Amino acid sequence: MRSIFKTGATALAAATMLSGVAYADGHGVSGPLRIFSDMSNPAPRAVMEGMVERFTEANPDVEVELVITDREAWKTQIRNVLQSGTADIVNWYAGNRMAPYVDAGLFMDISDLWEEGGLTETLASTQGSMTMDDGIWGVPYTYYQWGVYYREDIFAELGLEAPTTWEEELSNCQAIIDSGRACYTIGTKFLWTAGGWFDYLNMRTNGYDFHMALTAGEVEWTDDRVRATFENWATLIEMGAFIADHQTYSWQEALPFMVNGEAAAYLMGNFAVAPLREAGLSDDQLGFYQFPQIDPSIEPGEDAPTDTFHIAANAENVEAAEAFLLFVASAENQTLINNGDNLGQLPVNANSGVDDDEFLNAGFEMLSQNAGGGIAQFFDRDAPAEMAQVAMQGFQQFMVDPSTLDQVLQILEQARGRIY
Amino acid sequence: MFPRPIEQYNPGARVAYQAVLPVVLLLWLIPLLAVMWFSIKPGEDFTTGNYWGWPENGFQGIANYMTVFTQSAMPQYLWNSVIITVPTMFGAVALSCMTGFALGVYRFKGNLLIFFMFVAGNFVPFQILMVPVRDLTDQMGLYDTRLGLILFHVAFQTGFCTLFMRNFIRALPRALIEAARVEGISEWRIFWFVVLPLMKPAIAALCVLIFTFIWNDFFWAVVLTQSPESQPVTAGITAFNGQYRAMYHLMSAGSIVAAIPPVAMFFLMQKHFIAGLTLGAVK
Repeated sequence: MRSIFKTGATALAAATMLSGVAYADGHGVSGPLRIFSDMSNPAPRAVMEGMVERFTEANPDVEVELVITDREAWKTQIRNVLQSGTADIVNWYAGNRMAPYVDAGLFMDISDLWEEGGLTETLASTQGSMTMDDGIWGVPYTYYQWGVYYREDIFAELGLEAPTTWEEELSNCQAIIDSGRACYTIGTKFLWTAGGWFDYLNMRTNGYDFHMALTAGEVEWTDDRVRATFENWATLIEMGAFIADHQTYSWQEALPFMVNGEAAAYLMGNFAVAPLREAGLSDDQLGFYQFPQIDPSIEPGEDAPTDTFHIAANAENVEAAEAFLLFVASAENQTLINNGDNLGQLPVNANSGVDDDEFLNAGFEMLSQNAGGGIAQFFDRDAPAEMAQVAMQGFQQFMVDPSTLDQVLQILEQARGRIY
Repeated sequence: MFPRPIEQYNPGARVAYQAVLPVVLLLWLIPLLAVMWFSIKPGEDFTTGNYWGWPENGFQGIANYMTVFTQSAMPQYLWNSVIITVPTMFGAVALSCMTGFALGVYRFKGNLLIFFMFVAGNFVPFQILMVPVRDLTDQMGLYDTRLGLILFHVAFQTGFCTLFMRNFIRALPRALIEAARVEGISEWRIFWFVVLPLMKPAIAALCVLIFTFIWNDFFWAVVLTQSPESQPVTAGITAFNGQYRAMYHLMSAGSIVAAIPPVAMFFLMQKHFIAGLTLGAVK
């Protein structure tokens, strides 16, 4: 049981931290270490710079050269940087997004580091998403949960409980609709929010492995199993579960529907909590539940986009790079950089402490104990960028008019043939 | 032809004009008014969907602007803008005074060709230059520095400034220069003591224009810089966007703050600004 809840974790955390440092000292790391980071937004940038500062304090012989690139620009630059051998460490994402660089031999396999550094214990929840072709290709430093954020007060008023099965989900939703509200708010203007719905419906209908095969281009979009996913989706759409005109709202512009009680819930990442609280919803009014199961025989897979560090295959200072990765993943560092003052997300190390926050605790528990299917990275990270764009456009079209399903699936299948 | 004065229209048209004008004006100003309105509203109003209404818990204008100045890198961004704009202004204007003098006063082979090259620079769409300039700056080690932006702006603005200055100097009475030459004054002193004082109105107008251009530049700021240490305020405003959320109220307040210097410049130097826009056009 990898629960973290405060007590007892401190001792473990200290032990892990010490072993991490001992490992680093044992190698007497020194020399220049070149880190290319994409943590360019203000808060992540401060976190990155803080980590370098603390790492250099503990390892005064290492001279870190830190280059922070714009997060979007980095997506096109990483290949150049890795190929030209200018970096020892780079930022990237877990899951299928690693595939191009793993296949091209640009990331270093650090399975040994995971074994020696005890990461297979402490980072077990994300080990799957860092593994590819029997190697482990990096360490994560932060992630956050997705799930359904709902209005507890509206559920209470209607005498509803958070659903755990598809039947409960549908009957709940019908009751909400009968009360004159929409079950879910969503803003699909920028498409990705619809990707979240597809992820969950597909992982619950067909399972995590099928979902991964589909996003990897190994399954036809016209497959009956994909159709089953869309049928479940259509059930919700046709009963009026989603707010009207959602294609005109961004995800933020869809928040007022939930705040004003016109919609009862929102399938979203944990970053939705902060604006909902600011808008005046108390923790008594706001609740969280895991996306309900559809097929009871399927283990739940969860979306938890994970950000990572990798060692370049042609790194010059591998020892210092390994020491830095251990430092990043250590419980102490994880607790610090993911707390409310910094990233405000979930630490990946099971021995870390989580801020005493209803939703962070719920997410941490869900991901470390109840995501047996596996952890997905979100549709636009699991599928190649071009495929994700076409597919999410299709999802939006389908949500606006479910009768176009055949046409949408044809377009997606053609795109699959062209892109993979 | 020129539009007839509105007084000469028939009464029906005049009434319609007076009725429609305020509506159109309002329509045009809505985006600006929205930014001003949003900048004094609390952030939660955007989550509750209260975009246009009176904020329930009162205005937060002061808090928003305080946040912009104390809890963000805004002062640094503003300072960067000053550091980038002022040297560019002096650099481009100083260079173009000299090029303008050379091209406007001396008759030599290739004079017109060189002049056309300066002018032609203005017709290259800068989007085309994006990649090569970024690479050049990177190779010179100037990527993400204020100096890189300054040098590029000076180089790029000098073309327009030269066109402006050369035409202005051409319009000066040549007799003044020739009289000075007859007196045996060196060319350098003619430039400094005869021509330059006459160019004061053009210099003032150009300074105002260039200041506004460079301060408002967004494109090159985004292409050539990316850290708070070097980005000017136009690019820095996006720093109010978190990784997931747009902070509309802070972005609005930041935009207002960023817009104040060029607007103030315009009102203080209005005379020169209009002169600047028309000076280049007369010749």
